[in-house]
Amino acid sequence: MIWLWNIFCAPFAEFMFMRHALAAVFALALGCGPVGTFLVLRRMSLMGDALSHAVLPGVAAGFLLYGFSLSAMTFGGFLAGLGVVAASGLVSRLTPLKEDASMAALYLISLALGVLLVSLRGNSMDLMHVLFGSILAVDAPSLLLVAGVSTLTLLALAVLYRPLVVECFDSGFLRAVGGGGSLAHMLFMALVALNLVGGFRALGTLMAVGLLILPATAARFWAAQVWSQALTATGIALLSGYFGLLASYYWNLPSGPAIVLTAGCCHIISLVFGPRQGIAAQRFLGKKPA
Amino acid sequence: MIAAPRPVSLHGLTLGYGRRTVLRGLCCRFEPGTLTAVVGPNGAGKSTLLRAMAGLLRPREGSVNLNGMDARQVAYLPQQADIDRSFPISVLDMVALGHWPQVGALGGMTAAQWEDARAALAAVGMRAFAARGIGALSAGQFQRVQFARLLLQNAPVILLDEPFTALDAATTEDLLRLVRAWHDEGRTVLAVIHDLDQVRSAFPLCLSFMEQQPVMGPTACVLPARTFHMPTQDHGTAPTESTQANSALAAAPVDALPSDTLREGASA
Amino acid sequence: MAAGPLKVVASFSILGDMVKNVGGDKVRVSTLVGPNADTHTYQPTPADAKTLAQADIVVVNGLHLEGWLDRLIKASGYKGPVVTASEGVTTRTMIDADEGGKKITDPHAWQNLSNGKIYAVNIEKGLAQADPENAATYAQNARDYTARMDKMDAWVKASFNAVPRAKRKIITSHDAFGYLGQAYGVTLLSPMGVSTDSEASAQNVGKLVRQIKKENVTALFIENMTDPRLVENIARETGVRPGGELYSDALSAADGPAGTYLDMFKNNVALMTKAMNRP
Repeated sequence: MIWLWNIFCAPFAEFMFMRHALAAVFALALGCGPVGTFLVLRRMSLMGDALSHAVLPGVAAGFLLYGFSLSAMTFGGFLAGLGVVAASGLVSRLTPLKEDASMAALYLISLALGVLLVSLRGNSMDLMHVLFGSILAVDAPSLLLVAGVSTLTLLALAVLYRPLVVECFDSGFLRAVGGGGSLAHMLFMALVALNLVGGFRALGTLMAVGLLILPATAARFWAAQVWSQALTATGIALLSGYFGLLASYYWNLPSGPAIVLTAGCCHIISLVFGPRQGIAAQRFLGKKPA
Repeated sequence: MIAAPRPVSLHGLTLGYGRRTVLRGLCCRFEPGTLTAVVGPNGAGKSTLLRAMAGLLRPREGSVNLNGMDARQVAYLPQQADIDRSFPISVLDMVALGHWPQVGALGGMTAAQWEDARAALAAVGMRAFAARGIGALSAGQFQRVQFARLLLQNAPVILLDEPFTALDAATTEDLLRLVRAWHDEGRTVLAVIHDLDQVRSAFPLCLSFMEQQPVMGPTACVLPARTFHMPTQDHGTAPTESTQANSALAAAPVDALPSDTLREGASA
Repeated sequence: MAAGPLKVVASFSILGDMVKNVGGDKVRVSTLVGPNADTHTYQPTPADAKTLAQADIVVVNGLHLEGWLDRLIKASGYKGPVVTASEGVTTRTMIDADEGGKKITDPHAWQNLSNGKIYAVNIEKGLAQADPENAATYAQNARDYTARMDKMDAWVKASFNAVPRAKRKIITSHDAFGYLGQAYGVTLLSPMGVSTDSEASAQNVGKLVRQIKKENVTALFIENMTDPRLVENIARETGVRPGGELYSDALSAADGPAGTYLDMFKNNVALMTKAMNRP
């Protein structure tokens, strides 16, 4: 039995940086699981990637105003992300343009603006490089940031859960009973921006977006309700973090990509073997009822 | 158990989308407890009217007066719900949303309320499907579930937009029975119906957009007896030629109606 | 022969500083690879070719440090004398990290002050040959310079000897201190795989932490890491903070902590011994 402990626990027991990394990925998973589930249900899975570019003008503005202040740049990035998200929601409500198209348009504009601002002073590579962290480098402030964001996310989602669900699948009903769907949606998008920017800062873009989307897309093949999908997504994110770190340790892989690739494997396995309309389930068991 | 409905009156209601005006200057009054069918060709503005009455469409001019009732006391079933059928929600959960006016966004649901939801499902013959996902339902089953949700909303005023289109006879019959029950309970019910025979057999009152001017009255008077299908004339945009407002006459006794609304063979 | 000061082109900043010290005001020195730049990977510009073409004498390190120089000399059409400063130096070998572990001659001979003296003598000989009129001046300058090097060498030896042998280790990602380690009894350890641009793997970070703990190293010099927070984490876990910035392949700017060859030693050795002496 001792060999099991040696393989799966010893690295974390021996090294503080491994424990911190695990704590960080757990904190991130708690927030990303539910938020990612809603994002996928809302058909906005590509938003994370778009948002990682949209934050640039905010970061640049923070840098221009306050120099190399990480908190100013992070906050600026968050505001920029929030702005883009709010604007795309507004546009999709006021015009026939759907949210994904207006998001794409806005993030491109935002990115170009950011590059322009950055070229006024400094090298964009340096700015973005400094803004995005990596999981092995997570320090106490970053861990607190991620944990704080996750806690806030869970609390907010507990409050917004019902309106969000209804707004997702039957927004007409929500409007008819006066449920304030737009407000719920806007708040949710703010949460997404918060989770992403916090994740970028602490753990890098790849990890933040990867853990947001992949566990959620995998969960869909196991669970049949929104809350159970969110729970499954969180679980998959936790497992990916844990095994990804071990893979990085034993097979000498860079840690961020290792974790995201583990999540990716979960996704593929779920796609093929998941009981709820996975490929295998459909072929061999006939189409099961949802 | 239900609050007694108040009349719903429309004053000079003008509705449109973008540059199109669909309805112009409609004045009308739906007395409490009436069961009215809304008939007319496509594009006449029937759905638009219901949406405005449900509070989903702001009138260009005029108003919808609920006479003291608040918006949550008007339940609305849209024509083709924009519902994401692949969404992972169970039938019971969807029906339970009918309690929204009571529990709102945050309130918890009591055991009694869950029981009510199950009872509503049973009333539409779908109790066995409570735990299934909504994606597994056929069109007819899904419509039953939507009716169950309406049941739960327990609203004094119910608006139904083409509730029976594309349903089989058995489902239609079951759901019509529910509509009659609502009528018996004293609720005000308004339904857009395409099948004129159904209108004749089940709906005492009719608001018709089939002619140039909307007319409302007892079905026998308003609808010609021999027409078995909808008139093909399409009103397209609302009657824009007439300069005077189209006013429909309130549901009045037959003899008060102007003579040109009487059809041959019609009798009270 | 030449009216006015002798135009000398030195290949990189350390040599340039040495030439200034030996030549004094009799020479005008241009340096190809300036402060804070990497001589190994330098890409010469057309301006460099022009400078070379007009030079009276060129001073290079040799030992394959300046792989790009031969082509540049050919391109510039320079036909004058080339002084190899490292001539006569006892060399050592090193593992070439870039070429995947091949054994090559370590070109960083200047990191041993005894070799520095040989450099100064070679430079003096070359200058005297090119400019015999001022040979006496060059000889005197060289004597003064080597005397200063001796003093510095004594100080360096004393500093390192004050550190117990067991603590005389540093972890550094620079591969340039081989001669220093050899001359002054310092054990050099390279950080296992944790470096520059690529994202670190947990395995490598773990190895580094273990290495630091096992070897009981308190002198850690890793600049160039992607994320200073990673270094912070390592520092927190091992109790070892990075020791500061070392200059190995090039001098700092003139107003920086290592603006001359001798200042470079002062800076490096002070930082190293301070870190080593930490408990």
